[in-house]
Amino acid sequence: MNEMMIKLTSVTKSFGTVTALDGVTADIQAGEFFSLLGPSGCGKTTLLRTIAGFEEPDSGSIFIDGQPMRGVEANRRPTNMVFQSYAIFPHMSVAQNVGFGLRRRRLRPDELQRQIDDALRMVSLEGFGERAAHTLSGGQRQRVALARALIMRPKVLLLDEPLSALDKKLREQMQLELRQLQRAVGITFILVTHDQEEALTMSDRIAIMFEGQIAQLSTPQDLYMRPKSRQVADFIGSMNFLRAEILRRQADRIEVRIEGLGKVELAGDQASHNADDQPAAGVRPELLTILFDETDRAAREVEGEITGRSYFGDMTYYEARLDGASNAVTISMRNTSGRPVLDAGARIRVGWEADSIILL
Amino acid sequence: MNRMRISWLALYVCVYLLFLYAPVLLLPIFSFNDSSIVAFPLSGFTLNWFALLWQTETLHSAVRNSIMIAAITAIVSTMLGLCAARAASRYAFRMKRGIMGLIMVPLVLPEIVVGVSLLVVILQFGFELSLWSIVLGHVLICTPFSVVVLSTAFNNLDRSLEEAAIDLGETRWSTFRLISLPLIMPGVIASLLIAFTISLDEFIIAFFLAGTEVTLPVYIWSLLRFPARLPSVLALGTILLAASLILLVSAEFIRRRGLRRTGATDRGGLF
Repeated sequence: MNEMMIKLTSVTKSFGTVTALDGVTADIQAGEFFSLLGPSGCGKTTLLRTIAGFEEPDSGSIFIDGQPMRGVEANRRPTNMVFQSYAIFPHMSVAQNVGFGLRRRRLRPDELQRQIDDALRMVSLEGFGERAAHTLSGGQRQRVALARALIMRPKVLLLDEPLSALDKKLREQMQLELRQLQRAVGITFILVTHDQEEALTMSDRIAIMFEGQIAQLSTPQDLYMRPKSRQVADFIGSMNFLRAEILRRQADRIEVRIEGLGKVELAGDQASHNADDQPAAGVRPELLTILFDETDRAAREVEGEITGRSYFGDMTYYEARLDGASNAVTISMRNTSGRPVLDAGARIRVGWEADSIILL
Repeated sequence: MNRMRISWLALYVCVYLLFLYAPVLLLPIFSFNDSSIVAFPLSGFTLNWFALLWQTETLHSAVRNSIMIAAITAIVSTMLGLCAARAASRYAFRMKRGIMGLIMVPLVLPEIVVGVSLLVVILQFGFELSLWSIVLGHVLICTPFSVVVLSTAFNNLDRSLEEAAIDLGETRWSTFRLISLPLIMPGVIASLLIAFTISLDEFIIAFFLAGTEVTLPVYIWSLLRFPARLPSVLALGTILLAASLILLVSAEFIRRRGLRRTGATDRGGLF
């Protein structure tokens, strides 16, 4: 499992004056579901196309399964791609699309048919072989694109925003299916997406990219709970920032005073801020708790006032100002039966815990 | 008020259509008229003018020349157009705009300039004027049209379709053959038809560059010097009219069938 499949070393690529990739270095393991996440224009699609062989890096190197890829064209690489537009050949049937890549292998007709049937079964499209490709729905096209790439048994499957064209319900269903499919075939998947939720639910590891560089590469849990920069913290989920002041720094303990929360001692791995910058304490909206009942108690409590709310059905998002803090915070609370929805102006007690704080 | 505006609009449309098509309709009417003078009232029905055409050997060779020249022109300029349009839509290269501009210049160059300059060049190099020199001139003026039509076709073709084929192991050439060409086929057919039609009725270049053998427009022009032969020119015109209508309708039929087969939405087209 820990065998390396792709090794990227200082991959750099410019288009004219625009630097799309700025020294990207990463190792991707065999059998891993790996996501490239970032806002549009961050270089994630360029990186995917560079791995596929559609773009040649200006400098740096790409190794796939130990083989250097410089000068190797896309049609000779052990990678296959699912395009954002799916790129289903409109003048062919579903079976002709799926079997397209096997044309060069000159299989016997019955063997070709068997492999096409297998691939269609894998994406739950049995019996669709004779359909004209242009009659398919968006979700079906995507399955055809998947089958067409997987039938090649690539070492790496590249997916360029494959779910962005689908509606919400179908997208969530396909996220699950893609994940299951990846486990079943055991092929390394590299997914490009700008949807953080999609990346979090599907990936083994995620590389967050900003401006052509990988800002952080880690597991979904680690990225969410221990972001290394405010940019990353802000991009994945939402994060409240409160001003903080470092009081004392020891080997593995840091004592800080946080506006609105008070004095607290943090473990060393909770702090990853640049020493030159004014530090800020980050806390996720769901890790602040409104103590609705008089009898509710928390390890640490502070007081504040509601300034606004948005009701989402299952959740309510409160805007609140903690006493003594200059920034407002967002607190998300699950709506359970009997729990009131508070209005602006209500005084609240807020519970929190020291290990939910990160110092950035 | 509203009714008023509609009726003025209707009148305008009628006058416009009359102006456009009435002269063309006179062609078949007088070609069946039993008189060598082209004037009303009609004197009787005859097929003599068509029969006369059937017997004129020089006409037959002119038609053969024109069709051959038009066919070769259509194929050559479409092939050149394919290369230029693919390069322009798929690659970035130095001086691209300038080069594409130069290819398009014959579109606005007066044909008489093209005709005279080609005549001078061909004679200077000591070549003899022949049907091939006409093909040369026609390819020059037809290629811009092919480039325009085919560029549109290439630009409408989703680039990731070609990339998908390469990704699945095909070479650039087999990708072109298996994916690009079938999908831009409506454009290719349109380019062939346009180039064919332009070449078929082109007069000035054909007139300057013709050697001993002439094309159909040049032949018709030579007939106009004999007033007695005028009705047979009209008969010839009638045949050409019918032929081009058939060509047009079948081209549109092929285009629509192509659209249905790939499920593309109907953008443009002739009707």
